[in-house]
Amino acid sequence: MTVAPTPAPRTGLIVAALPVAAAIGVFGLVYGAAARPIIGPELAVVSSLIVFSGAAQFTMVALLAAGATPVAVLGGVATLALRHLPLGAVLLPKLTADRRRRALVSWFLIDETTGLALTRDEPVERTLATSGGLAYAAWVLGTIGGVAGGSLASVEPLADALFPVLFVGLAALTTATRSDAGRALLAGGAGLVLLLAWPGAGALGVIAVAIAVAAVVPAP
Amino acid sequence: MLLAVAAITVGSRVAALALLPPPRGAAAGFVRRLPAPLFAALATLSLTGSGGGVTDPAMLAALGCALLATRWSSLLITLGAGLAGFLVASLIW
Repeated sequence: MTVAPTPAPRTGLIVAALPVAAAIGVFGLVYGAAARPIIGPELAVVSSLIVFSGAAQFTMVALLAAGATPVAVLGGVATLALRHLPLGAVLLPKLTADRRRRALVSWFLIDETTGLALTRDEPVERTLATSGGLAYAAWVLGTIGGVAGGSLASVEPLADALFPVLFVGLAALTTATRSDAGRALLAGGAGLVLLLAWPGAGALGVIAVAIAVAAVVPAP
Repeated sequence: MLLAVAAITVGSRVAALALLPPPRGAAAGFVRRLPAPLFAALATLSLTGSGGGVTDPAMLAALGCALLATRWSSLLITLGAGLAGFLVASLIW
């Protein structure tokens, strides 16, 4: 008689992913409220359904509100999309699925799920799908709530604080050596200086800093 | 235009995970060194983009508590400690 294998528990993964999804949901509310007067309620919701990228969607709406041309909007979005390449590069060595399944889970490739996937013991594909599924549901539901006029002003500061805390935690958890710690401090410090001096550098600017630090500073 | 935005975003994700080859040799070493500085850089981005900014005492308390909690190597504990620090500091300041 054989005993059926016990399914790996996902509870821990879900518990870890829920606060992140909740914060993403709050930002979905903000996005829905901001996008509604610019692109209309239907397109605001559709954009969250088919894009699922806060950075790209907020950029699109902000540029449209400023009167930018479609080419400028697409240029801004394409520039932001470049950051998926380093995120994917750090996950690729840990993926075991075939190309088709990797293409499917790539839908959930965002900063937060990448961090969870790198720091959890579960297979990367499962972490991406589970945490990404929760984040996607929260983002879409939040957008619908924002379009419908919902507001969670009292918890917005808390959601605002969650992402810096999350990334500091992820930086610490992916630090295995003293060299890693030095590189993290250097990238954080240089990124901060860059953003204070040139706020427009944005996500691509700080990711370029991180890439430069990882590329130039040799491991001992 | 919305479809083009979706195509760019989805296409870059698929390229990153399904089309590009896994890094080898020197590139693999670079990729091993990338996560810690990458997340540290993203932390500064989300910090400067937050409502309170880099001088907000509550945000600094959150980051300090989160850093202290990283010794337990648990993301959940780190998140909890950071948010608790933020809430306590918000009540004080």
